[in-house]
Amino acid sequence: MKLYLALTVASMKMYFRNKQALFWALFFPLVIMLIFGVMNFDAYNSPNVGIVDRANNPASQGLIQALSGTDDQEVLSVSTGTQEEMLDELEYGDNKAMIIIPEDFGISGQFSELQVTYDERYQQERAVIGTVLTQVTDAVFKQMAQVPDEYRVEANIGISESFIEGQGQGFQGWLIPGIAAMAIMQTGLFAVVFTLVRFKAQGVLRRLKATPIGASHFLAGQLTNKAIVVILQTYILVLVGSLVLGVSVGQGRLGAWVDLTILSLLGGALFIAIGLAISGWAKSEETAAPVANIISLPMMFLSGVFFPLSVMPDWVISFAKYLPLTYLADGMRAVTVEGAAITTLGSELLGLGIWMAISFVIATRLFKWE
Amino acid sequence: MIEATDPVLVAKNLKKRYEDINAVNGISFEVRRGEIFGMLGPNGAGKTTTVEILEGMRDADSGEAYVNGINVKENPTAVKAIIGVQLQQNAFFDNLNLAEIVELYAQLYDSSVDPIEILSRVGLADRKGAMYKQLSGGQKQRLSIAVALVNDPVVLFLDEPTTGLDPQARRSLWALIQGIQKAGSTIVLTTHYMEEAEELCDRIAIVENGEIIALDTPDALIDQLLDSGFKPNKRTREATLDDVFLNLTGHELRD
Repeated sequence: MKLYLALTVASMKMYFRNKQALFWALFFPLVIMLIFGVMNFDAYNSPNVGIVDRANNPASQGLIQALSGTDDQEVLSVSTGTQEEMLDELEYGDNKAMIIIPEDFGISGQFSELQVTYDERYQQERAVIGTVLTQVTDAVFKQMAQVPDEYRVEANIGISESFIEGQGQGFQGWLIPGIAAMAIMQTGLFAVVFTLVRFKAQGVLRRLKATPIGASHFLAGQLTNKAIVVILQTYILVLVGSLVLGVSVGQGRLGAWVDLTILSLLGGALFIAIGLAISGWAKSEETAAPVANIISLPMMFLSGVFFPLSVMPDWVISFAKYLPLTYLADGMRAVTVEGAAITTLGSELLGLGIWMAISFVIATRLFKWE
Repeated sequence: MIEATDPVLVAKNLKKRYEDINAVNGISFEVRRGEIFGMLGPNGAGKTTTVEILEGMRDADSGEAYVNGINVKENPTAVKAIIGVQLQQNAFFDNLNLAEIVELYAQLYDSSVDPIEILSRVGLADRKGAMYKQLSGGQKQRLSIAVALVNDPVVLFLDEPTTGLDPQARRSLWALIQGIQKAGSTIVLTTHYMEEAEELCDRIAIVENGEIIALDTPDALIDQLLDSGFKPNKRTREATLDDVFLNLTGHELRD
C-alpha cells in the first residue's frame, strides 16, 4: 500500500510536470469549450419545436410538414412525440415551444385550437414561431377549405398561448458535458498511450522488471494517476464552463457532482483500457499515435460532443449511438443539464459497462511489457 | 548456511535457444565474493542473455543458476531483491529529478537509503535536482549505477557500462567501479573493450557462440598466449594512443 501510494505520487509528479500533457488535458478542451460556448450556435439555427399530434390525420401531417419546411429550407426544427416527452424536451431539453394538435383538427367545419406552450426565456424564438404558426395555419386552412387566395376568410383554426419557464441550458448546456466527456476520452487514450509506449520503447519498463516489484505495481500507480486526472478534468471543465457560460449544474442538485465523479471514473476506466490495449500492442509512439487518433477522432464528431446526434443522417445515427463516447456524453449530459440521477441512466451505464468489458479483455490480451 | 568463502554466483550448464540459434549453449562458471568478474565477447556472443538469466529476467531452457545460494529460476523475486542491475539500455522517467528517481527505486526495493548519499557515491550529489535528459552520457551511466546500488546489492551487474563514453568519462567510471569493489561489492561486468577488462577485472570469461572458450585472470590468459609462441605483429610500446589522447586533453571529466 505504501509502495502503491509512493508510485501514484511519483506518477502525479511526472504528469503535472509534463506541460504538453497538461495542455491537452485541460487547456485545450477549456479553450474549445469557451470559444464554442461564446459563439452561441443557437442563434443560427431554426428554433426547435416539439409537436404532439393527437389528430394524426392528413391535415395534421400537412401542418407538420408545412411547419418543418423542406430539406433545403428548414422553417422550424420539428420533433414529434407524446405530450410527456415534448414537455420534458421543452422544460429540460433544447425545445423552445410545444404545439399540441387536438383530435378534432382538420375535421371540416369544426373549429379547433392549437395549444402552444413557449419557454418564456426565449422571446426572440417565440416571435419567430408565432409568426410561422399564424402564416402556416392560414395557408393550411385555405387549402383545406379550397378558398381562393383573393378571398379573406376568418380561419377556423385558433391558437392559444401559454408560457412556462424552462430549465434547459441551450447549446452551452449541451457543450459543457460533451467537452468534459471528450476530455476524458483524450486523457484515457493519449496520456496512457504516450507515457506507456515511451516507457516501453526507452526500456523503462524493462528496468522496472529487474526490480523485485516488477512493472505491474508501477502500472497501477500510473493508472491511478490518470484516474485522478480524469476526475480533476471533469470538475474544472464543468465548473469553469458553468460559471463562464452561465449554466447550472444538475439543476442545482449537489449530488450531480457525485454522479459526475462516478461517470468520469467509468468513462476514464473505459478509455484507459483502450489506451492500454493500444500501448500494449504498439512498439513505438509512431505506430501508437495514428491508432489512437483513428479511434478518437471519429468519436469526437459522431458522439454528440459539439452538436446533437439528431442533426446527422439516420444511417450515421444508427451506429453512432452505440459508440462509447456517445454513452459517456449522454450520461454526463443527463446529469449536468437535466439533473438526472445516475441511477436513472440504465442504457448509458449498460453501454459503458459492455464497452469496458470488451476493452479490458482486449487490453489484457494485447499488453506486453517489451 | 552460506559461508563467506562460498561463491556468490553459480551458473551450471545454462542453455537458452531462440528459434534457430543457440544463444547460450552450456555456460558454467562461479563468481567469488568481492571480485570483479568480466564477461567478454563480440556482439551476439551470448553475454547479455547469460547475464539476464542470472538476473532473473529471462528463464533458461535448462541448467541452474544460484545467487547467494538462491535458485534464480525458482525464486527470481528474491534474487532481484538482493542484486543491483544496470542494463545496457537504461532510461529513467522524464519528469523526475535525480534524487526523486533514486528515491522511487529505493522504495521499489523497500530500502530506506538516503538518495543524496547514494548520488554522492557516484559523484552526482550536486546534480540531484537535474532531470535525466539533462545529463551527459557519463552522468547517465553514473545514475544507473546509483540506482543499482539502492538495495546495497550482494552482486552488481554492469552491462557494457562504458560503451559510447569518451576516454575521460570512461576512466572516471572505472575509478568509480573500483571504488565500489573496494567498498566490498561483487561485480559482474560485460564489455567488449579489452583494456577495460584488463584494467578492472580480477577474472574474465571469454564467450563465443554461446560458450565460454577461456576463463582465467587477465595476466594468466596473456601468459598462456605468449607461452604458445605468439608474437604480436605490432611493436609494443611503453605508451598507447589512449595515453597520448589523455595527456593532450587532460584527465578531467567534461560532463
